[in-house]
Order: sequence, then structure tokens, then C-alpha cells
Amino acid sequence: MQDVVNQVINTSFGWGWPSWAIALIGYLIVAAILFGIAPFQMLFLTLYERRAIARMQDRIGPNRVGPEGAFQPLADGVKIFTKEDIVPAAADQWVHFIAPCVVVAPTMFMFAVLPWGPGMVPVDMNLGLLFFFAISSVSAVGLMMAGWASSNKFALVGAMRAVAQMVSYEIPAVLSLLAIVMVTGSLSIVELINYQGGLFISTRDVASVPDWGLGWFIFSPVGFLAFIAFFIAALAEGERTPFDIPEADSEIVAGYMTEYSGMKFGLFYLAQYVLNFLLCAITSIIFFGGWQGPGVGWLYAQAITPANLQGDWIFNVLAGVLGVFYFLLKTYGFFFVMVWIRGAYARLRIDQLMDFGWKFLIPLTLVNIFSAAIWVGLTKWGAADGLAFVEGWSPLMRWAVAFAVTLILNLGAYLFLARIFAQSQDERTRQDDEVLEQLTNVA
Amino acid sequence: MTIEMQRGSVIVMDRRRGKLRAGQGLLQGLKVVWDHWAGSFRTNDNFSKIHGTFTVEYPDERLPMPQAYRNMPVLLFDDESGHELCTGCYQCQRICPPQVIHITQAKDPVTGKMVPAATEFIIEYDACMSCGFCAEVCPFDSIKMDHVYELSTADRVSLTMRKTQLNRPISYYTGIAPDLWAEAQAGAMKKLQGSIKRRPDVIGLAASLTEKIKARRLELAAAGQVAGGGGQEAGVAPAAPAAKLTPEEKAAKLAAMKAAKQAGGAPAPAEAPVELSPADAKAAKLAAIKAANAAKQAGAAPAEAPVELSPADAKAAKLAAIKAANAAKQAGAVPAPVEVPSTPLDAKAARLAAIKAANAAKQAAEQSNNE
Ligand code: SF4
Ligand code: SF4
Repeated sequence: MQDVVNQVINTSFGWGWPSWAIALIGYLIVAAILFGIAPFQMLFLTLYERRAIARMQDRIGPNRVGPEGAFQPLADGVKIFTKEDIVPAAADQWVHFIAPCVVVAPTMFMFAVLPWGPGMVPVDMNLGLLFFFAISSVSAVGLMMAGWASSNKFALVGAMRAVAQMVSYEIPAVLSLLAIVMVTGSLSIVELINYQGGLFISTRDVASVPDWGLGWFIFSPVGFLAFIAFFIAALAEGERTPFDIPEADSEIVAGYMTEYSGMKFGLFYLAQYVLNFLLCAITSIIFFGGWQGPGVGWLYAQAITPANLQGDWIFNVLAGVLGVFYFLLKTYGFFFVMVWIRGAYARLRIDQLMDFGWKFLIPLTLVNIFSAAIWVGLTKWGAADGLAFVEGWSPLMRWAVAFAVTLILNLGAYLFLARIFAQSQDERTRQDDEVLEQLTNVA
Repeated sequence: MTIEMQRGSVIVMDRRRGKLRAGQGLLQGLKVVWDHWAGSFRTNDNFSKIHGTFTVEYPDERLPMPQAYRNMPVLLFDDESGHELCTGCYQCQRICPPQVIHITQAKDPVTGKMVPAATEFIIEYDACMSCGFCAEVCPFDSIKMDHVYELSTADRVSLTMRKTQLNRPISYYTGIAPDLWAEAQAGAMKKLQGSIKRRPDVIGLAASLTEKIKARRLELAAAGQVAGGGGQEAGVAPAAPAAKLTPEEKAAKLAAMKAAKQAGGAPAPAEAPVELSPADAKAAKLAAIKAANAAKQAGAAPAEAPVELSPADAKAAKLAAIKAANAAKQAGAVPAPVEVPSTPLDAKAARLAAIKAANAAKQAAEQSNNE
């Protein structure tokens, strides 16, 4: 943004403003845009989810307010704003009041490092990925505050579950990202996206492939396994079915939101949907190249960039539009998958959730890190790093060997772990039955 | 896969069981949901299909109601004459379980006698439970169950329906339930004619039909001028003497009705009897029985109806004979040259009528057998 602002103010108008003013203007514009976009995403996603899940259940969904129900979220918003705000007498007033803000704020922060299109990132941090996930865990504090301050047993149980689930599933999420970070060698989200140019194979691995913006990580065995693990963990973190245990309405009313009403409840809802959007966005960025897609790279090469100040601004617009289009397409695609999963699966029990996270996903992601190491070794290292035998191979050959080795390793690990996990689950069921038998004396 | 059974067929789902590899079950679950999603863009117009949307978008679209659907009772009036079918017989008021029907019987303003019509008829829709008993019990097919179900109001009082709000033309009812009305029509219209004859002035005319009422008033006034006074009574058929029926009379009536039914299938016409002399009781009765028997024999298995005779049933028997004759006439196929004397004074005439009726009935039956 700043380069564009700089271009417009200093070059086109020739006002010669200082760089801090340019930066301030740039950040203000971006912040304003983002604070407009975040709630809008939430509004859109609620409608999107309701329409999609309705179709899966052979219904039509909300389609009365506006064309195809487009204004339904606004109607919901008006309703939620006009609701009475009830605070339980026994609640800890201040904590109860602050908790929704603590939950919403991190989701807004996370937008700071989210690239929307080529050159369209609010802040290109070299620690972007770390920032993103570190901040996302802060909302667990807010959830705990909400549950505790409500002085309601359901709220507390819900908050406990939420925190337990978030903490457990951060681990596979971060471990699966670690594999990707090893491959790219950078924690910058922008760098992560730049790495995914190419066609099926990344141009960074094999320089000779054409750059169609399709060298996504999903096409490598390491990336694929990391994607599966990460997406499952993202479902758990976003409290989506089948991991919506913290707000399991059939068991604990609404979990930590039980004692909230009106716009405070609305804020939790907002945080949840914005978080879901962000998780879908980050999934599409890390594994599906974000704004990468056919044409974007070529357009952006001719736009005004720090590297190419002689570019034409029209290409900024074109590249931006196309990039954002690809990005949102992928993001909403993932949100559809989330809804699809919600439509298909039943809620897990808390012990099943823990079992799955700790006994299946974490070992799997650990194996994936090992695969990632092999991948990096085979594609990047040379004699200096102690891998002299790869020196003679062509880049394509090295890539192919790395692909085959990691594929075998990951597939084997998956099948092996799946079998062990299934056996352990069977054993557990058997034990449960035995206990039941002892308790009831009924075979 | 479907399994054919004697009544219809059972659809057995192929659940694709068998050995599942790790994660395969989850993918199959996703496939099922996907199929529903993809299929939901088509409409499922026939419920045997598993996929497809079958939502009826209610305020825009409505399901066609089955004819026998019942929501709230309404009262019918005849389109042509404008007369209400209700006679104020109180049957519906008596049977209504929550007792939400309230009727005021019409009275002749001159004589003060009951008139077969209701001046006011109230149904409290708010407490009506749509049981349909009232429609079932009404002997005049006057009260019928409506199909309108959008009745919400802001207050309770506006759900207390008065007669003007309840009145619907018969054409409305034939629109919503043509078959049901076709079943009831003949009887109902016949009874209505009977009621109309006994309704003085404008009693019984639907209050909404102001032109009809005006026309009737003019007609009455004209008739009154011609007759030179007594406009109220003009054009009104003499009321039936309200006498209770003895068992014998009933039996005779029944026999006559049976005869009529078997001869032609047409419902027994309910006509006001005319004045009779008590002398020819026996003979008339006998004649009626004979007529009934003859008709029965012509149609189905013969059944004797031994009835004790008493001199009091003259009227009933006579009536029966006339009815039998009429029924035979209505059977229609054979032009029966029956002349029913309107006021027969002796046994012979009655007997003659009965025999004629019997013959006519026989002929009709034969005719229909031959066909
Ligand atoms: S439908 Fe039933 S409850 Fe309603 S008025 Fe008729 S008899 Fe009464
Ligand atoms: S509606 Fe039918 S049952 Fe009720 S009073 Fe009128 S004629 Fe009798």
C-alpha cells in the first residue's frame, strides 16, 4: 500500500511528503479497510453457511430477505443489536464484560499479516506465521474468562473444553506448519506464497518449470499430509463440527457463551466466524498458494512494485483483482469444506477428540517433519551439507526422488498409524464394555 | 435395490458395507452429503426420490389441499335462490365438543312459529378444534369444513365469527371439494327446497345478498297487492303439522324410502304431506307396503316387512305411496304414467296409486336389469 501511496502522492502529485506520513496514511487506509472487511466476512459467512448446509439437507435456506436472502445477516444483526443485554447477578461483572473483546481482538490482529493479493499485505512481517498462530491462541484466554466470569457450570465446562481443545490442537497445527516452514526456510507469509509459483512443481525447487502460479504445497506429499493434519486442527481451533465440543448445544447449552446475550453474544459469534474465515484463508495461503494462480505473477511483474517503480498502476489493479479473486475463491472453497464436514459428521466425544489429537495427528505430523527434512535434503542440499551423492542429479531428478521417498514414507506412516489407532479404539471400546458389564451384570 | 412385496415395494439401501480401509468411512460420509448438495438444485417433486429439494416456499407457493382437508366450519347458501341451507336444527350445536356453536332459531314474525332457518349463527373460531363433527352431523349439509388456514388476528374477538362471516356460496364449496359436494348435492338441494317453502318473508336469505333480498321484498309486495293484503303470508307454503311419528309411521316411511331407493337409487324426496282423511289408513298402508315389496322384489332379495296397522298411520302410508311413485318416476328410464292424486279421499284411490307405483318400480327395475 505504501508504495502505491508514495507513488500517488510523491511521484504523481509531486508533493514530496516525508516517508512517515506516507506510512501513516498507508496504514490508516489499510486498517480502515480491514475493520470494514472483517465484520463483512462474518455476515457473509453466516449466510453462506446457512445456505450451503440447507442444500446439504435438501432444504433451501434463508432466501426471503433481499435477493436470495442477501440481507438476512443484516436482519440478524439488527435483531442482535436490539436484544436485551443480560448479565447474571452472580457473574464477575468486569471480566464478563471484557471477555468478548478479548476474544474478538486477536482475530482482528490476525488480519494484520494476511496477504490478500500480490503486494496487498498490511504488514509483511518476517515472523508472520508465528505471529498469526501466537495471536490466535490469545482468544483461548478470552474464552476462559467468559466461562469463568459467567459463574455458570455449563459455561465453565464449555470454557474448559475450549481451552483443552485449543491447546491440544495447536500442537499438530504448528507441527504441520513446521514442515512447510522447513521447506520454505522462512516464517514470512509473503515468502510462503512467493515460494508457490510454478506448475505442479515449485519454481524454487526446479527453476526450469514455467511459473503459472500453481506450484502449491498441496502437490507434494509433505504438503498434502501437512494440509490434512492442519485442516483437521483448524476445524478444532475454529470450533467447527465435528469438534464443536466447547459449545455442544445438546450437552452444555452453548458452552462459554451460555450467559451472554445481545451484542456480547454477537461478538463471540463474530469472533468465531472471523476466526473461521482466517483459518480457511491461512489454509489456502499455506497449502494452496493464496493469491497465486495463472496470470497473477505475470500481471504483477509489470505493476508498480518496490522492485519495479516504472510499472503501470493499471497492472497493480489487475493483479490485485485477480489475486484477491483467486484467494477468496480458495478461502470460500475451504469454508464450504468446513460446512460440508459439518453436514456430514457427528460431534466427537471429548476423549475421542483428545485421543485423535494426541495419538494420531501428532505422531503423523512428526513423521511429516521427518519427511520434510528428507525433502529439503534431497532438493536443496549439496556436498557442502554432506549429501554429495545428489550433486550429479538434475533438479527435476532430485525433485522426483524426493517426491517418491516422502510419498512412501508418509503413506506408510499414515496406514500404520491408522491401523494402530483403530486397534487402540477397538480395545478401548472393549474395555468400556467390560466395565459396563461389571457395573450392570448384564452381558 | 427394491424388494417387491404384495403391497408396494420396499426400498433397501445399499450401504456399501464391507471392509473399510482407514479413513474410507469418513470419505463415504462426505460423498453422501455431497450427493445431497449436488442433488438439491433439482426439485424433488415426487417423494420416492432421495435427492432434491422438496421445500414448498409457503407464502409464495402452497400445497394443494386434499378435498377432505378440514380447518374451520363455514355455512353454505345456495347461489341461485340465495337461501341458506341451515335450518337451525341445533344438531351441530349439540355435538360440538368445545361448545363453540351458538344458534338462534328463526321465528315467523306473524305466527311466532319456528321457521327452518337460523337468524344468527356464531362459531367461536378461537376455541374450535377443527374436529369436523358439526359438518358430519348436519342433516342439511349446511355446515362444511373450509380449507382456509390463515386466520391469525391481533385479538381474540375477531375470531368470533357471525353468520355473515361464515356464509359461503355453494359454488365456493364446489371449488374446494367438488367430489364431496357431488355426493351431498341431491339430498341437500331437495331439503333446501323444502325449507324454502316454509320460510316466510326474507328469512333464510343470506344477508350479504342485498339485491336478492330486495328482489324478494318487491316480489312479496307485488304478491301482497294482488292478493289484497296479508303480504307476509303470501307465497308461503303451509307449514307441516308438527306431530311426532309413531313407530308404525316410521316403519311405513322406511319402507317407502327403501322402495324408492331400490327402484331408482334416488334419495327419498322429503315433501310436506298434504291433509289426509283418517279413514283410509289401513288401505293406504297396505298399498305402501305392497309397493315397497314389489320394488324390493324387482331389485334385490325379497324381504317381508310385517307392520302392525293402526288407524293413525294414514298420512304416513299415503306419503309412502306417493314417495314410492315419485321414486319410480325418477328412476326415469321408463316413462311411468303414474298420476298421483294430490288429495285422495278414499282407500281405492290410495290403493290404485300404490299399485301404479309398484308397477312403475317393477318396470324400472326390469329395465335396469335388462340394460
Ligand atoms: S369443527 Fe368441531 S369444534 Fe369446530 S365448530 Fe365444528 S364441532 Fe365444534
Ligand atoms: S348447520 Fe346444519 S346441523 Fe347446524 S343448525 Fe344448521 S342445519 Fe342444523
